[in-house]
Amino acid sequence: MRKIILSIAAVSLSLATLAQAKKPTIMVVPSDVYCISNGYSQQFVANGVEQTLPDYKKMVQSDRNMRLAITKLASIMADRGFPLKDLEQELKNLEQEAAEVAAMQGKEGGEIVESPIDKLKRTAKADIILDLDFNIQKKGPQNYVNFNLKGLDAYTAKQIAGAAGSGSPSTSAAPELLLEEAVISYIDEFNGRLQTFFDDMFKNGREVKLQLKRFNSATFDFEEEFDYDGETREFGDVVDAWLEKNCVQGRFNRTDGSSNMLKYEQVRIPMFKESSSGRQTAIDARIFANDLRSVLRKPPFNVDCKVYQRGLGEAWIVVGEK
Amino acid sequence: MKRFFLILLSTLVVTSAGAQSRKERKALFGSSYNYEIAVLGVGQDGTKVFKVWGYDKKVDKAIVQAKKNAVAACIFRGIPGGNGAAPTPAICRETNAEETHADYFNDFFETGGKYLKYVNLTTDAVPSGQDRLKVKGGYKVGIAVQILYDNLRRDLEADGIARRLDAGF
Repeated sequence: MRKIILSIAAVSLSLATLAQAKKPTIMVVPSDVYCISNGYSQQFVANGVEQTLPDYKKMVQSDRNMRLAITKLASIMADRGFPLKDLEQELKNLEQEAAEVAAMQGKEGGEIVESPIDKLKRTAKADIILDLDFNIQKKGPQNYVNFNLKGLDAYTAKQIAGAAGSGSPSTSAAPELLLEEAVISYIDEFNGRLQTFFDDMFKNGREVKLQLKRFNSATFDFEEEFDYDGETREFGDVVDAWLEKNCVQGRFNRTDGSSNMLKYEQVRIPMFKESSSGRQTAIDARIFANDLRSVLRKPPFNVDCKVYQRGLGEAWIVVGEK
Repeated sequence: MKRFFLILLSTLVVTSAGAQSRKERKALFGSSYNYEIAVLGVGQDGTKVFKVWGYDKKVDKAIVQAKKNAVAACIFRGIPGGNGAAPTPAICRETNAEETHADYFNDFFETGGKYLKYVNLTTDAVPSGQDRLKVKGGYKVGIAVQILYDNLRRDLEADGIARRLDAGF
């Protein structure tokens, strides 16, 4: 009997040890300033206001220097265990996907259903954006590179890593060589900061955003009071109490709230949770929001909710219906 | 008699001052944190190029020490920026990694040991001029080295000494 218990304990321990967090996807995206200053931009008029937006397709089709920098960064990051999503390939895939969705038909003539939200969601996305900007400057007969690489968390909009500076001027080296040198020079510093971000994530939980909104079909608003956990509280305070209990070290920040919405930032969710089978499974904002939804389904709330996922790091719970 | 005591006292003061400087010197020579580095530029992909100094009573031992210092700086302290190169963080980011993995690093830094695998190029042949300074109690020798930084990092990660960037994912 003792042997069996020991074996079960060993198996559970190994499963817990093997549990792996959800790996963020990373993609290099040229900065707006790079695209616009190099002429890779398009003009739009929205609500009577003219807007200039980067034209990534034009950029990847014509800028050899940027392609070189992206390739170099991608090979280094792949070596560090993070193969990058390729912007050029992602843009091609999206075009192809749109064409296939439009053309696809079932044997009975049925078409793929796609809501406006589904179409909006069909964009090149990554959990961490490597925002890259560089320019090759001249100083007399010498060339040098100004380099700026920012790692941005796509959900919290926080800069989680960065490396910037100027390379040493050279009269003989070609601009492409100087650019390659800049990438090699700054990437270790950048990865060091990225490592600090990951270390913090494993220690203090993944930082996500959570929003609660309500459909007009919801039977109550967020200022309504409920008897929950032996206390009478407003709905928003009930959600606060749940977050305090379920966030790592109870860390979260309600940044805004009204009778129709609650906005939470710096919500530190655990990287893993124990599933019903006893296994440690990785969690993200959606799974965390699902747990809150299951609380809201039960008395005294008895309400259905839609969980809307925005990548690994943001989820909305829309109260009232699915 | 008074004179005799004064002379004795002054002799004692001089001797103790000398002893202190010798002690300091010994501490400096034997310190595992004494990495003096000047970056020479951006190295080839996966390498770091810098000048490093070593202390010892003999020139050849100071050169050996300098090579050890070069590898140790990459592992424990990181390399400062300079000459167009950005700073490089330490491969082992945990504090007191030297002590935590003492057995591993004792073997690693044994003279002629594994650390040499990562020292690709040095100018240790003829250190002269400013690169070979006679200092009290020995020599301070500076050599230019090319360290195979990426290989070093990969091997330390494989040996479980350094944490991989994707560890846990």
